[in-house]
Amino acid sequence: MRGWGAGEDQPLIRLGDSMNAATAWLAEWRRTLRDPALSITVLVLWALLGLFILFPLVKLSAWTFVDGGHFTLANLQAIFQDPNHRQAFWNSLLLAALVGLCGTTLGFLYAFTAVRTNLSRAWITILDAASLLPLISPPFTTAIATILSFGPRGLITYHILGIKGFTIYGLYSTLFSETLTYFPIAYLTLKPILAAIDPNVEDMAFSLGSSRWRVFRTVTLPLTIPGLANAFLLLFAASLADFATPLILAGNNFPVLPTQAYLQITGLFDMKGGAVLSFVLLVPALVVYLLQRYWVSRRYYVTVTGKVGAQTTIKSVAPWARSPLLGACLLVAAGILYFYVLLFYTSVVVALGANHAWTWQHYQVVFTAGLRAIHDTLIIAGAGMPLGGLYGILVGYLVAKKIFPGRQAMEIVSMINYSLPGTIVGIAYLMAFNDPPLVLTGTAFIIVACYVFRYSPTGIRATVALLQQIDPSIEEASEGLGAGSRTTFRRITIPLILPAFFAGLGVVFIRSMTAISATIFLVSINWTLITVRILEDMTTLDLGSAAAFSVLVVVIVFVVIALISGLLRRFRAHGAVEITSILGG
Amino acid sequence: MRRWWKFVVLSLATLLILPVVRAGAADTVNVYSIWTENWGRQLFPEFEKATGIKLNFVRFSSGEALVRLIAEKNNPRVDVLFGGPVETHAAGITEGIFEPYKPPSFGVLPARFKHPDGQWVAIADNPLVFLSNTKFLKEHNLKPPTSWDDLLNPAYKNMLQMADARTSGMAVTRLFSILEVFGRDEAKAFDYMKKKRRNVQLYTKSGVGGVLPVAMGQAAAGTFFIVDCLDVQEKGYDVTISTPREGSGSAGEAIALIKGAKNPEVGKKLIDWATSPAMQSLFAKYKINFIPTHPDVKIAPSLTEVLKDAKIFPIDLDYAGANRKRIVERWVNEVLNLKE
Repeated sequence: MRGWGAGEDQPLIRLGDSMNAATAWLAEWRRTLRDPALSITVLVLWALLGLFILFPLVKLSAWTFVDGGHFTLANLQAIFQDPNHRQAFWNSLLLAALVGLCGTTLGFLYAFTAVRTNLSRAWITILDAASLLPLISPPFTTAIATILSFGPRGLITYHILGIKGFTIYGLYSTLFSETLTYFPIAYLTLKPILAAIDPNVEDMAFSLGSSRWRVFRTVTLPLTIPGLANAFLLLFAASLADFATPLILAGNNFPVLPTQAYLQITGLFDMKGGAVLSFVLLVPALVVYLLQRYWVSRRYYVTVTGKVGAQTTIKSVAPWARSPLLGACLLVAAGILYFYVLLFYTSVVVALGANHAWTWQHYQVVFTAGLRAIHDTLIIAGAGMPLGGLYGILVGYLVAKKIFPGRQAMEIVSMINYSLPGTIVGIAYLMAFNDPPLVLTGTAFIIVACYVFRYSPTGIRATVALLQQIDPSIEEASEGLGAGSRTTFRRITIPLILPAFFAGLGVVFIRSMTAISATIFLVSINWTLITVRILEDMTTLDLGSAAAFSVLVVVIVFVVIALISGLLRRFRAHGAVEITSILGG
Repeated sequence: MRRWWKFVVLSLATLLILPVVRAGAADTVNVYSIWTENWGRQLFPEFEKATGIKLNFVRFSSGEALVRLIAEKNNPRVDVLFGGPVETHAAGITEGIFEPYKPPSFGVLPARFKHPDGQWVAIADNPLVFLSNTKFLKEHNLKPPTSWDDLLNPAYKNMLQMADARTSGMAVTRLFSILEVFGRDEAKAFDYMKKKRRNVQLYTKSGVGGVLPVAMGQAAAGTFFIVDCLDVQEKGYDVTISTPREGSGSAGEAIALIKGAKNPEVGKKLIDWATSPAMQSLFAKYKINFIPTHPDVKIAPSLTEVLKDAKIFPIDLDYAGANRKRIVERWVNEVLNLKE
């Protein structure tokens, strides 16, 4: 029986050590072919990945790098001769790294406070709800609220603090806004992982005489490393691909690549240049992914073993430290809440900043002229949700637990659409699926596919991180006791990765309700989306309707997530890891 | 392990059932509209009433609409591009996405409101004006700007917002207006723009981007198209609209037929209607503050009021077309990236 943190290698690596690479590869093939279910699933997944990730990408690169039948780097060169673009590249890296760092820290603070300080359910619900808000709000909300509060005539900077001529545009405001928007991803990734660390493990250290700080530093923190690395990766990629926030907040002195790519395309009508700028973004995303992988795979993090000790109370945080931790979380929560109160206020006054008379007129617009967008969005999000959840755990399970050729390639390919800016994914889809053989433009299907393949990596990462914590001996024990692999999968693995399934499904639903960058190019005469209406209202200077639509989105998503959380609690198998809910509530 | 491929088959089946194509009929015209959803919802039912043709539209910004049309070139999804500055249409001609068509009104339109071959036809005109925040003017004892030079006043330091010439057709119209004001003397014009740079808080991505900040006091003033300025004023914001006495340029809003359109005949009917007095007299009815291009249609009173002292000059399309790229690049290097 393997213990936790014993510095043992994973089976795959042992395999690689004992045989030479070629025989290992052949063995992988043989093993895969012997298991028809595995080989069929792998084939089907590769077909889907090929069709919805690689094909559009190849189509776009062909268009970018092939000129008159010849491969050319002229476009790349032209783009990189521009010092603005070079600056934008470094700015993007800086911003993404900082967002990754700050967001992961904040997410860890939240997760740690939620699962390690013996909070009552009510407090945890408050933390969950506050951290969900930014995740479920439509694009631009945080950015706009930041400007309204901290801009040159902001509610806080000008009216309360009386600062005049304050310049908000630049790195700090973008970082602030993106950190608030994305830290919930870190929270969602870290919470189940912290929750899955058996308090008995910490207890052992305490009984050996360790101080709380030492236990935190040498036991709790190291065991969270796969989660921390995953959270950083997700935040880094999300920030790298985000164009909405910098579009509003970065100003003229802090250009970043996704915004430059968007402007290159929609402003200068230079799709080749925009595509080149986006391809460049793949490089840092890939580097961080490989680093994360290298770092995490060198250690062993099993904490969910078959041995269930007597339940113990959590003692990892001193009583005096509870209040400051909770206080820090609540401060952030209050900040977030303030933004949403502002949003709600905007939706119920005639015109913010001019006429503050109370009105429901914006909601009237939403429920008359906006009805079709609401209807379409709900259908699309509803269809994408189960597909995304399923796809997420399938890929996550295969990548983390099964040995087959091209496993690592599958993991990398599944991340591509997530780390590219939405604009470029949207255009690649538009170019790939507008002509025969596969005409999908104008259908709801193309939007669903875009969401599933772009936003499932959260589900994949959550599955991988959970599975890395589970001792394979649990499954071995099940099979040793005579259960077939099907039974083992159904009775052991599925209950264990169910939280990841719901996390993946939840994120796909949330993103289907809130994302815009990719789908602005995929909506059509037939299918439109609420987020497109929000953008539309912003461009026509109708803040009230934009806010009303945003409030509606927040409410719908909150209700659906609450339902999912309820389901999750019902489905949880007895004796499974005590994870109250990955999605809050 | 049979269980998971059941899952996979099931999900694939769902995927295949999903694409429900809501197909369009032959008496339906499909449109990408650059004019806003609000205007579309008011104007297009009038077209349906007048012709009995059903109109489907989806609204995009000019850049997004053009990119889609280029990507969909081999299999166009719409018949007509409705609205958008002539600039966008000029870029579209280079990409070969339009089908020339001359509607019945073609002959009576002034030359600057039509492409000689009928690649596009202008359906409205949109001059540049100054928009300022009235409260800011009062607080700083300023008169509304009535000259381009007024924007150099240090009182506006870091408080102007206007569009970025890399991404906004409005900004390009502004650059060529300034060039025109300085008699096309580029040295003088750029000298002026460099001086103005230190008063600029933000160059926005879209032309309309700075209007709301000015209305809400985040910025003090800027140069914008009149249609957006009047729009924000009607929403109740306390703003002042003024015009430069040296004059300012204006940009046409155009319509074009898409090459390879599935329903070209109904598309042409839409263009006929959009260029006719019937459509353009609706501007006044729905308070859409464009200047009509058809000589028979009167300008709405709300516009004449603002423009009574204005000196509007057309932008010379040949000159602008020939020099645009160079001027914008020079603006980026010398004005936008100006380090002090």
